Amino acid sequence: MLAINSLATRLSLLFALVSMLLLGSIGTYLYHSLTREIAWRDDQMLQGRLERLEAILSNGESVDMLQHRSHLYANMMGNRDNLLWILDNTGQTLIEVNPSDLPVPNLPTTNTVRLMETAGPVQARLAWHTFEQEGRPLTLIAGKLLDERNQMLRAYRLRLWFALAIGALLAFLLGWGVSRHGLQPLRRLIEQANRINIRQLDRRLDVTGEAQEISNLSHGLNRMLDRLEDGFSQLSRYSADMAHELRTPLTNLLGQTQHALRRERSDAEYRQVLESNIEEYERLSRMIDSMLFLARTESPSRKLICDSVDLGEMVLQLCEYFEGMAEDGARALINEASGTVVANHDLIRTALANLIANALRHGSPGTPIHISTMDLGERIKLCVHNHGPIISPDDLTKVFERFYRGDPARSGVVDSGGLGLAIVHSIAQWHDGEVQVESNAEDGTTFSLTLLRA
Amino acid sequence: MRILVVEDEHKTADYLCKGLGESGYSVEVARDGFDAQHLINESEFDLVILDVMLPGLNGWQLLELIRRRSQVPVLFLTAKDAVEDRVKGLELGADDYLVKPFSFVELLARVRTLLRRSPPREREHFRVADLEMDVLRRRVTRKGERIALTNKEFALLELLLDRESEVLSRTYIASRVWQMNFDSDTNVVEVAVRRLRAKVDDPFTQKLIHTERGMGYVLEDRS
Repeated sequence: MLAINSLATRLSLLFALVSMLLLGSIGTYLYHSLTREIAWRDDQMLQGRLERLEAILSNGESVDMLQHRSHLYANMMGNRDNLLWILDNTGQTLIEVNPSDLPVPNLPTTNTVRLMETAGPVQARLAWHTFEQEGRPLTLIAGKLLDERNQMLRAYRLRLWFALAIGALLAFLLGWGVSRHGLQPLRRLIEQANRINIRQLDRRLDVTGEAQEISNLSHGLNRMLDRLEDGFSQLSRYSADMAHELRTPLTNLLGQTQHALRRERSDAEYRQVLESNIEEYERLSRMIDSMLFLARTESPSRKLICDSVDLGEMVLQLCEYFEGMAEDGARALINEASGTVVANHDLIRTALANLIANALRHGSPGTPIHISTMDLGERIKLCVHNHGPIISPDDLTKVFERFYRGDPARSGVVDSGGLGLAIVHSIAQWHDGEVQVESNAEDGTTFSLTLLRA
Repeated sequence: MRILVVEDEHKTADYLCKGLGESGYSVEVARDGFDAQHLINESEFDLVILDVMLPGLNGWQLLELIRRRSQVPVLFLTAKDAVEDRVKGLELGADDYLVKPFSFVELLARVRTLLRRSPPREREHFRVADLEMDVLRRRVTRKGERIALTNKEFALLELLLDRESEVLSRTYIASRVWQMNFDSDTNVVEVAVRRLRAKVDDPFTQKLIHTERGMGYVLEDRS
């Protein structure tokens, strides 16, 4: 359950770390203030002791008398922690209370009270002071062994470490519980997401009453599902349309071949069937080519190889190509295009050829077809305009979909199989370009392709 | 003229064999890369038609082997029309390629071009029956009567005359006359041929331009 990559585990580890840092710093702070406080109080006590001793000696008591009146410092005697020395100016010990047998410290003379710690196996804190009695300098030294204090602090430190460990552990456990509880909505989200599959792509994640972060996430996922559902339904529609489109030539092939084989026929008849079959095969082949082309342009795995393309020249070439078809309908192809764009030469030519073929297919006889360019600064907009029946506003959004035909009756062998404009659209997208269509009764129909200027 | 067809698909191999045989070539078929290697080592061929997807030795490996010992023209067939594939084939020393599905007429046209070892001589004058073309003076006459043609009509007629009696596919015509290398699904070529016929054939009883339905167009004297 405690997988290291689980969010709950990570969060609880973080909780533990944070509480360790927090408890640790508080503990350190408290420990240090306690140490300082104790040291201060000890120093006060030592200084007080020196002052009292000095007061006694100033009141005329001699050191000799003090030696005999040991009750004055008797409270120190049973206590193994306390030290006291009175030294004369030669370093001779006059009075000594030294239960731990520390060596007599060798200290510089000083008129003010000074404090120090002795080094060595037995540590002690000393306060000393030189003081003159009847012309004789005496050094008073009061001390306290640090053993007890150190012991106490050591025990205190241990308790702090213990508290820290327990605290961290508690924080970890609590954090784990809290995280698991806090991540409950996420688990609900997973359950919901698990229920969505290909058959139920219309299902969405329920966001009512969830925390803001979760509902944001769910909204994001829902939007993604919208797009996926769109794409998916488009794909299934394509597949259905594709199957349907393939069925027409296949039906012809199957039917006419079976019909021909029903009885003996003349060579000419057989020939006719075979020839007709070829036409259907060509249609199938073209459709497959177009679909393959679309599949390839829509998978962005391959990089587009671009160079600069002179639109005027390309349109001129295409106008020559379509000249015959145009003149058949008493139409003129008018080339008003100029400028250079960054594009893949072959793809743009295919796109343009499809647009011109489309204009020829739908333009009214006797009206010209204009191919012009418009300068949009960084981009060039290439327009193919024809007069003729307008495209209804409903259809305007659909003309670039695959297998879409404005007028189902208009399909035929020379038709692009409903893929021509879809190919234009996908070429434009591959170029990061844009393809648009406008159609109204006054101005006719204009398809435009916007490309980056070279 | 001996042609080696390396193709593992039986139906394809059979019809290539029959078709090329009927067109006057003697054809050997190898069903896999190793057979092909053996045949190439054993005898001489004027052309190799090579399918890229082969069992045993694949087409690229075979192509490398062929190039190591001879400069025989190689036409490769590929089902993938990825540009990388074509480039690879041509880099390895193939002379031409066709993407499946291809039309037989198209294949025949490529085969003829490859077997015409020397580059075709630019002809200046054509004559078929009573049709005459003077390329330099851009004059076309029939029965001595001058026929006015547009540039593209002239180019189309020149192509048909140059390849007299050969069936030319629409794709091939589009690529030669208009330099359009894409497979257009419009009937541009049909229209152009119809317009050319209106000028060259319609006023006369003897027709020279013939439609081979489903295959393409041919210019020949059939009288």
